[in-house]
Amino acid sequence: MAVFVLPDLGEGLQEAELVQWHVSEGDNVVADQPLVSVETEKAVVEVPSPYSGRIARLYAKPGERIRVGAPLVEFDEGPRADTGTVVGELAAAAPPAAAPPRGAEPVAAKPAVRAAPAVRALAQRLGVDLAALTPSGPNGTVTSADVERAARAALAQAPAEILSGVRRAMALNMARAHAEIVPATVVDEADIEAWPPKTDVTIRLVRAIVAGVAASPGLNAWYDGRNMERRILPQIDLGIAVDTEEGLFVPVLRNVGARDAADLRRGLERMKADVRARTVPVAELRGQTITLSNFGMFAGRFAALVIVPPQVAILGAGRIRAAPVVADGRIVPHRLLPLSLTFDHRAVTGGEAARFLKAAIADLERAE
Amino acid sequence: MPEITLVEAVNLALARAMAEDPEVLVLGEDVGTEGGVFRATEGLQKRFGDERVIDTPLAEGAIAGISVGLAAQGFRPVAEIQFTGFIYPVIDQLANHAARLRTRTRGRLSCPLVVRSPYGGGIRAIEHHSESPEAMFAHIPGLRVVIPSSPARAYGLLLAAIRDPDPVVFFEPTRLYRAVRERVEDDGEALPLDRCFILREGSDITLISWGAMTRETLAAADRLAQEGIAAEVVDVATLKPLDSDTLLESVAKTGRVVIVHEAPLSVGVGAEIAARLAERGLVSLLAPIARVTGWDTVMPYPRLERHYLPSETRILDAARRVLAYQ
Amino acid sequence: MSVDTTEAPLAPPEAWRAPLSPTVARFEIRYSRFLDPKGKPVRPLPDFAHDRAELVALYRAMVLARTFDTKAVALQRTGRLGTYASALGQEAVAVGVASAMRPEDVLLPSFREHGAQLWRGVSLVELFLFWGGDERGNDFAKAREDFPVCVPVGTHAPHAVGVALALKLRREPRVAVCIFGDGATSKGDVAEALNMAGVWHLPAVFVVNNNQWAISLPRSRQSAAETLAQKAIAAGFDGEQVDGNDVIAVREAAARALAKARAGGGPHLIEALTYRLSDHTTADDAGRYRSSAEVSAHWSEDPIARLRHYLVDNGMWSKADEERLLADSADSVEAAARHYLATPPPPPEAMFDFTYAALPKDLAEQRRAALDIVEQ
Repeated sequence: MAVFVLPDLGEGLQEAELVQWHVSEGDNVVADQPLVSVETEKAVVEVPSPYSGRIARLYAKPGERIRVGAPLVEFDEGPRADTGTVVGELAAAAPPAAAPPRGAEPVAAKPAVRAAPAVRALAQRLGVDLAALTPSGPNGTVTSADVERAARAALAQAPAEILSGVRRAMALNMARAHAEIVPATVVDEADIEAWPPKTDVTIRLVRAIVAGVAASPGLNAWYDGRNMERRILPQIDLGIAVDTEEGLFVPVLRNVGARDAADLRRGLERMKADVRARTVPVAELRGQTITLSNFGMFAGRFAALVIVPPQVAILGAGRIRAAPVVADGRIVPHRLLPLSLTFDHRAVTGGEAARFLKAAIADLERAE
Repeated sequence: MPEITLVEAVNLALARAMAEDPEVLVLGEDVGTEGGVFRATEGLQKRFGDERVIDTPLAEGAIAGISVGLAAQGFRPVAEIQFTGFIYPVIDQLANHAARLRTRTRGRLSCPLVVRSPYGGGIRAIEHHSESPEAMFAHIPGLRVVIPSSPARAYGLLLAAIRDPDPVVFFEPTRLYRAVRERVEDDGEALPLDRCFILREGSDITLISWGAMTRETLAAADRLAQEGIAAEVVDVATLKPLDSDTLLESVAKTGRVVIVHEAPLSVGVGAEIAARLAERGLVSLLAPIARVTGWDTVMPYPRLERHYLPSETRILDAARRVLAYQ
Repeated sequence: MSVDTTEAPLAPPEAWRAPLSPTVARFEIRYSRFLDPKGKPVRPLPDFAHDRAELVALYRAMVLARTFDTKAVALQRTGRLGTYASALGQEAVAVGVASAMRPEDVLLPSFREHGAQLWRGVSLVELFLFWGGDERGNDFAKAREDFPVCVPVGTHAPHAVGVALALKLRREPRVAVCIFGDGATSKGDVAEALNMAGVWHLPAVFVVNNNQWAISLPRSRQSAAETLAQKAIAAGFDGEQVDGNDVIAVREAAARALAKARAGGGPHLIEALTYRLSDHTTADDAGRYRSSAEVSAHWSEDPIARLRHYLVDNGMWSKADEERLLADSADSVEAAARHYLATPPPPPEAMFDFTYAALPKDLAEQRRAALDIVEQ
């Protein structure tokens, strides 16, 4: 390492102030190249490099005073590293990594099924296992025909039937309902512990609906989505869902709000007989303003039921069960009747639905 | 409205663009007095003067380079390269400058130039005059590559190219220059760039092409129609940026694809299209994508030229194989 | 390699010429210098050189250019700037040419004319950004029509012709000034450009910044032409040589050339003879192909020292002036370097911006994909 000191600047000057460096550490300079400007009393003087070489170190900063003979610049000896480029930086090779550990013996590959991507997508949709098929395409390729044939065979156990009659009507109505209605469901349970034995559940539910409509008339309405018209109906014509071998019937019990229990009972009995005999007049299958589904007769606690337009509400009653409740600070078993109120949120608010339900439950929880 | 040829449509579009915008210039070898060796610039110098239609010395690289300077100064130069065989020096100026001037100056300078050149084979020309180098240009980021296939599309696309604020290379299929006549309304209406054109609708197979090969492709579609097969024929028109959406919609419909181009097979634009269709349309495909292209050889001299260019027969063969694929 | 195809001594050139035929064309190339390397006038100075303010402006600009240059090299050495092409020793060419231009003229530099860019109003920060690898450095706040640096050698000469053609078509009294190196004069692009400028009589001034080296190829092996200036003759217009380390000579020649072009006199070429005191770039090691003794010898021609000697000798420049200038230059450069270093890189999506005027759909998808990768 050769150190270049501040040379004698003449005129008996012992020191100078460093004004500005003209080179940086790492620079390669040649002899006579100005290294630095220093200020003497008389002038700003450029100090040239004594020889060619690489600057390893600069010994002072601008503004500092340096004495003549003090170290100014340290030169690096030794050859300059070859960058191997004129532009950019070339990364040097990393030392070779240790040889990677030998892996386990390769497992013999299963022969892949040959099938076009669209055929694979089809098989996935139809739930067909490609590997189980006998391919009929060239070079053992599975074709879409192969896939479709396999799918049909799987379904061959179940005979297809074209829907007709009541089932057909249900299919069409439910599809239409799904397309139009915006359903929301609120559920709760009525504590019917107070009921005397042999209480007619259906009649009580009908009465509860009447109470609910009285509290929230908006649930006994028809809504026309196309024209955005809501018609609150003065009369409650209650549709009652009846399950038969042929399918779902929803005959109408007219004007339930104005009839007493006995009258309602008679009407219900006649309705059931007609349904069984398949003699329900067509007119009695239309015009429901709100519907009751007592599915709890079979099983199920709560359900989000389907509203058939133009109705806006359906009340579902689930299976009555004994359950622990808190009464007077103690846990006691009471009979509970689960209720699910599904309403069309285009026409009915949550508040209206809740008020309906509250009134219905209040009515149900009365002993008589 | 008279029927005009493709080269006349180019002339019409140039005249229209020059009449509408005083910044549009035409320059190149023999474009002025001579009206262009294919007459593409016929009559323009007489009408617009020699300061707007400029005969340059013989220097393709410089023609492109001065166009960069003119464009940076706000002119809209339309440079003609006499034959695509001479266009390779232009790649330097396009790739190194025209296509990157906007991005490297962050929009301070830009390059609204058009380089137009007759391209493609089938005219029994001497060597170097039948090149199809569109893939080389389509690979340059920041460049547009547009190839019309009819007089009406030549008119509309050239207007669009001239009006576009970015550099466009406009390849004109020499074989179609005079081969087709069509009614073209000189209404100044540009056609959209970056968009494929459906030349014929169909649902059984998609035939994708551009330039002069659209003729053979349409002829093949006619033959297929006689056999009860409805082929959809798509003219890519703008090779870069590519309108993947239209191509994918077609593939979703048909599931079968044949790409036709006269440029050599390897690393052609057909490869890019096939890759995109495979990337995003895989589950629509019912058969591998087929390409019918020039061979990976130098375009042969005219005696063998017809064995190089994709023929209607080769296209039909490929289409039938694709249709038959199970 | 020397390509000698004969072993016998060559006959003189006259032996190969057509005998008794009249000469149909001659040319001459003139050389001008005003200050010798020690700053002593060798002939009467041009008018502007009698104005201290003009000379001081030139001196300040050269010192600023060199200060920037030194800092740029230092930043590169410490990994804070990319590969940088130093213009050490060539400050007079850049400053002399730019100082003769009007603001409304257009400059098309190569990559070793930082002093010209600075004179034209490109900021120190913009220069640091460019060499630091940020495109925003080319979005000049001033000199809005000047071209950015041109890396593919000589390919900007046709651009200058296009610009000059535009200026002429618009009948504007403006000039395109194109600066390139000795190596560039071997390129076809330059020959084509000179030819077109000549045949179209364009307002273009071409300056050959002849620093004697094209990376490792010395000027003597770049061309057999006695001067590079005479390449203009082949294109049909005048060329001249100047001492490129005498800023007064450079400025004087450039002013003449610009006045000629502006007045409709057509193009002009100036070959400025200088010397590349630095390596080709910060990654180059010129010691591999030239001796340090040669470089040392050329330090005696330093253009900055030369003008300083003249100024000091004529009582136009004091020690205090020098100190103040060095301090001012250092401050400006340091401030700009700090600003540059504090400027964060643009967001990754900037790669996509400005690729086209409006982002095409498939590029927009790539941009989204690129952003997703970054966010991970």
